[in-house]
Amino acid sequence: MAMNLQSSESIIEARRAVGVKPADAQSWAYAFAGIVGARRVVTDPAVCPAFNVDGMTPGAVVYPRTAEDVATILSIASSWGLAVIPLRSGTKVGMGNAPLRYDIALCLKDLNQVWHYEPDDLTISVEAGMKFGDVQRFLSRRGLWLPLDPPGGARASVGGILAANASGPLRVRYGAPRDMVLGMTFATADGKLIKTGGRVVKNVAGYDLSKLMIGSLGTLGVILDVSFKLFPLPSLRQTFAFSDASLEACRHLRRAILASPLTPLRMVLLNGPARAIAANLSAQYGPDSNHEFWVEVGGSESVLHRSAQILSGLSAFVGPEPSKLDEAVARECWDRIADYTAWASQPEQDLLVLKATLPIASTERFLEAVYQESEQEQCRVASFAQTGAGTVLLCILTAKGEAGMATFVSRLRGNATRLEGALTVLAGPPVLKQYVDTWGPPATDLASMHKLKQTLDPSGILSPGRFVGGL
Amino acid sequence: MSENKSETWRKAIAGQAAKIAGDDVVLWRAEDLMLYEYDGLSTMGKPDLVVFPSTTQHVSEIVKLANRNNLPVIARGAGTGLSGGAVVSSGGIVLGFSRMKKILEIDIENQRARVQPGVVNLDLSLAVSDFGYYYAPDPSSQKACTLGGNVAENSGGPHTLAYGVTTNHVLGLEVVLPNGEVIHTGAAYLDPPGYDLTGLFVGSEGTLGIVTEITVRLTRKPEAVKTLLAIYDRVHDATSTVASITAEGITPAALEMLDGFTLRAIEDATHAGYPRDSAAVLLIELEGLREAVEEESTQVEAVCRANCVRQIRVAQNAEERDKLWQGRKNAFGAMGRISPNYYVQDGVIPRTRLPEMLDFIGEAGARYDLRIGNIFHAGDGNLHPLIMFDARDAGQSGRVLKAASEIMMKCAEMGGSITGEHGVGIEKSELMPLIFSEQDIEMMKTIKSIFNPKDSFNPGKVFPTGKLCGELRVQISEGAARG
Ligand SMILES: Cc1cc2nc3c(=O)[nH]c(=O)nc-3n(C[C@H](O)[C@H](O)[C@H](O)COP(=O)(O)OP(=O)(O)OC[C@H]3O[C@@H](n4cnc5c(N)ncnc54)[C@H](O)[C@@H]3O)c2cc1C
Repeated sequence: MAMNLQSSESIIEARRAVGVKPADAQSWAYAFAGIVGARRVVTDPAVCPAFNVDGMTPGAVVYPRTAEDVATILSIASSWGLAVIPLRSGTKVGMGNAPLRYDIALCLKDLNQVWHYEPDDLTISVEAGMKFGDVQRFLSRRGLWLPLDPPGGARASVGGILAANASGPLRVRYGAPRDMVLGMTFATADGKLIKTGGRVVKNVAGYDLSKLMIGSLGTLGVILDVSFKLFPLPSLRQTFAFSDASLEACRHLRRAILASPLTPLRMVLLNGPARAIAANLSAQYGPDSNHEFWVEVGGSESVLHRSAQILSGLSAFVGPEPSKLDEAVARECWDRIADYTAWASQPEQDLLVLKATLPIASTERFLEAVYQESEQEQCRVASFAQTGAGTVLLCILTAKGEAGMATFVSRLRGNATRLEGALTVLAGPPVLKQYVDTWGPPATDLASMHKLKQTLDPSGILSPGRFVGGL
Repeated sequence: MSENKSETWRKAIAGQAAKIAGDDVVLWRAEDLMLYEYDGLSTMGKPDLVVFPSTTQHVSEIVKLANRNNLPVIARGAGTGLSGGAVVSSGGIVLGFSRMKKILEIDIENQRARVQPGVVNLDLSLAVSDFGYYYAPDPSSQKACTLGGNVAENSGGPHTLAYGVTTNHVLGLEVVLPNGEVIHTGAAYLDPPGYDLTGLFVGSEGTLGIVTEITVRLTRKPEAVKTLLAIYDRVHDATSTVASITAEGITPAALEMLDGFTLRAIEDATHAGYPRDSAAVLLIELEGLREAVEEESTQVEAVCRANCVRQIRVAQNAEERDKLWQGRKNAFGAMGRISPNYYVQDGVIPRTRLPEMLDFIGEAGARYDLRIGNIFHAGDGNLHPLIMFDARDAGQSGRVLKAASEIMMKCAEMGGSITGEHGVGIEKSELMPLIFSEQDIEMMKTIKSIFNPKDSFNPGKVFPTGKLCGELRVQISEGAARG
């Protein structure tokens, strides 16, 4: 491939030119300016803090124009041992442990093109820096979408969503990013551009390296462009809300819906504060009432009609009939539910956000434990439970200092583990991360993960320390 | 390829293997090994030993035994693979999984099951059927192929159009690595913390590790199923229908195509109910809520009509539906009846290019004077040209490979893939450069060396040997080639 040849040549050239690592940020930034142009390397102390990760400020922000730029930058960073964190909108910077080192913020905002679009084949290839909202807007013109509603919503970038394998309530119907990716190009730490998978909807040629990149939080490579399979937008949608449901009722409802012929687009359990966030009311004042159980279905008029019938048949579990939400209002609520951090009343950086992933059947029992613990710790918690997927998102709105938060997290983690699931911290104040490991114990063999990291990033420059097990 | 070992030597190793796994589960005599020289591809390789472990511990110990004796280890499920994945390339121990076929756990409320790798695909679906569930990926070989083989090949099937392939349904694995170590990847819940090694191992064709346990997701059966048979007088109209269905965003559960030549062969063998005088049929299945199925059916029928369908038949009951599917799923067998030999290809193209591609396949057949049937997962753009030939005719065999290579090159040229579900195996290792750069392939090798540094698990697969350039590695000679 011409692209790869060209890039490896420019890397060799760049390597020859760089020689020994200069001592200070100003001087090595100068070297990067030689690659991308002076305007694309920023060391201004007034700008860099905007790219803070867990309180650490990068020495420089570099804005590559092309995949080749990224490869060259990484190659030099590798030989100089400069730690790089790829970023775009910062909607996921709260994830992961605090980085061990952080020299360069690699801002991918200019890698934002659609470079291949075949609507009639239901496939698209976009660059990693493209904002998710822009992708959706582009697709909606043809009645298509990427059925994802990850945290960060429209602001999130494609690369960030993949690096976090981030999904939202739509997961129950459509799966996670890993299920929609057909292939990608990524840059390795030593500056190679690697293509994996392809652009067609079925493909088993070679190892599926996309899977390694997805969810690795920028610790194995930098995702540059991605091909997705697309889905048609549902023609109509309707959200039904069962209100004032006890956890016991919610458990029955979940079972009944999963056993019914319905295939909901989304299902979520909201407690009082979560309900307030969804409605754009202050979560501080949301009532501590019972849960609301929301179900969204999609399809034609007659499908919605039938769904309504099925759902009201299930209302015996909760009492009152489900109410139908106004569609425009519901759409906004769902957006807030997906992008909950932006709507909680706190400044985002102070929020503690937890994600528990559990066997489906443990969802309600976990929530029970959460409420008990939060009462004891006097925390206010907004809980968004993707019942049907076994995923529970918790926004901790008030807590008693970092130490208290840390205890709370480990108590909840204990509960998740007891219920055969796991709990990770999606975002939290930097100090908290001194007390708790954001990931908890790895589910997958740690030694193999170490070997992978060691092989793909031997100089340890890619988001060092942010991932599971200190990788 | 290295020489196989002497009989005495093999007998000695067999004795050690028997101490690990039991007396009656080790084969070493040449005549006993013969059954394990082939899989579904017409290429052979002689193993030194075949062992049938019953536990993960057995697998681990046999792997260590193989290491001490510098023998490669090749996992084998049902041997239905079509790319030579389970065929030994340079001697070694074949691990057969026919004794590890227990369904260990069925957990309906959590929509998952834990199984041993030797469980036959369809058996899992049958086991959960009474609860209203099934295992979604359904290779046409599902009555025989194993879940271990499915995981290794990342297998698909007719219904993976709507539900995704194997990798979308596997939550976690237990794997024995080439040093004998047992590791776990993934979990029984979603998004477990850590790199997605499960996703890496699925589709790695037995070259990274041997799978000894699999946790899969189960899917609820739909309320309604409707099966349509759309009958065409011209192939072009059928392929255009597929392209239009995709472009209109209609998502059937399955969308298969059979051309006239193939459907006549099937009718001769099984009387599935495909009209013999048609040029092509589409087998279209719609699933979901009753109302949704009816509406989609109306939409699909309109698209078919806009593309000059001759007739649309609807299966009236389960029996008619089964017959239509039996024809499809037994198609390869039917081919065996009309031609001494046939060669199944597997490629993928964007669905917009289907009409053009089928024309190309027709021309290639004419140019090489070969009959090529087409039966494939049309909705996914996943082609399976079936090339008929007689292996006794050396000239014909050469032409088969040429025609097949041309079709593969065309897939690559159209932005597609050289395999959609059968895997690279031995067959297509030299074709990898058609779609990957040297650097891409080097990266895959780097990953392989992390887990399988001595190339002791399934050597000679997936990666180009560098000896043959762009050629299919298939032995199409008399005796070796089978229908
Ligand atoms: C008539 C027919 C129809 C088919 N239809 C389809 C179809 O619709 N879709 C499709 O995708 N395929 C299809 N196939 C191909 C084949 O059935 C699949 O590839 C299947 O998954 C192979 O399973 P198996 O148990 O036979 O594996 P084998 O052929 O025994 O092995 C296949 C590969 O898996 C590896 N392997 C087996 N077990 C393990 C294990 N426990 N751990 C690690 N590696 C292992 C082997 O080493 C080998 O590389 C068809 C084949 C036939 C003959």
